[in-house]
Amino acid sequence: MSLFSSMLTSASGLTAERLRLDLIAGNIANARTTRTAEGGPYRRKSAVFAEVLDRAGRAGRGVKVAAITVDRTEGRLEYDPQHPDANEDGYVAYPNVDILQEMVDMITASRSYEANVTALNAAKSMFLKALEIGRR
Amino acid sequence: MNGLWADTAVLRLQQTLDMAAEKQRVYAHNLANVNTPRFKRQEVVFAEELKRAGAKLPLARTHKNHLSGRQPEEIAYRVVKDTSSTMRTDGNNVDVDREMALLAMNQLQFNAAADVLNRRFSLLRYVITEGRG
Repeated sequence: MSLFSSMLTSASGLTAERLRLDLIAGNIANARTTRTAEGGPYRRKSAVFAEVLDRAGRAGRGVKVAAITVDRTEGRLEYDPQHPDANEDGYVAYPNVDILQEMVDMITASRSYEANVTALNAAKSMFLKALEIGRR
Repeated sequence: MNGLWADTAVLRLQQTLDMAAEKQRVYAHNLANVNTPRFKRQEVVFAEELKRAGAKLPLARTHKNHLSGRQPEEIAYRVVKDTSSTMRTDGNNVDVDREMALLAMNQLQFNAAADVLNRRFSLLRYVITEGRG
């Protein structure tokens, strides 16, 4: 049933954008985290999106998050000798999170989420309209 | 009576609904991939096919008992990839505004076809109930 599968396609978009939003929230929350389990400051994470096709490889079936990548670039160094995580020169390594970039990503993710909601609602109202066929 | 039962309008409308559902799926796919790098939007093309199907001549009948063959041709539509453009530096060419407009248009088309189908059926009901329905 094509309308159901289009709703699932929109749902895959919702899932992917929400996961991206989660990662952005994590990046913002950890913008000043200097300690992590793997050692060193927090590294910014981002989602890699990939198109999903049907088994024949032709018709589109939505989107998936193919990978969550960790940005390995160096973050900024701040001079703060009192900080417990300062190195021997007195510099503290902070995460490579750029708040401005995260904000922009957040807005695109949230707008894309809304676009998928609109598509889902369109499919739903079409489906409801189809139920009216032949009704008195 | 023949006009009500044997016409091809119901089948045509049914195919219009099918096509609108398929289009909805494709637009949903495009919107879901609005942030996928190198993704190229898909499109359902059918207008030419519709024209061609509408212009089909009736089947030739060599015997008076042959059926007229008024069954309409299946309206073929294809899903094609639009690789002609690029919207962003990552190679994606989904224009959200355009997809939204197409989505709205498709929804209206679906609703229109469903409405006409409804009227068609209420016409039949009117006849079946001898004008009392």
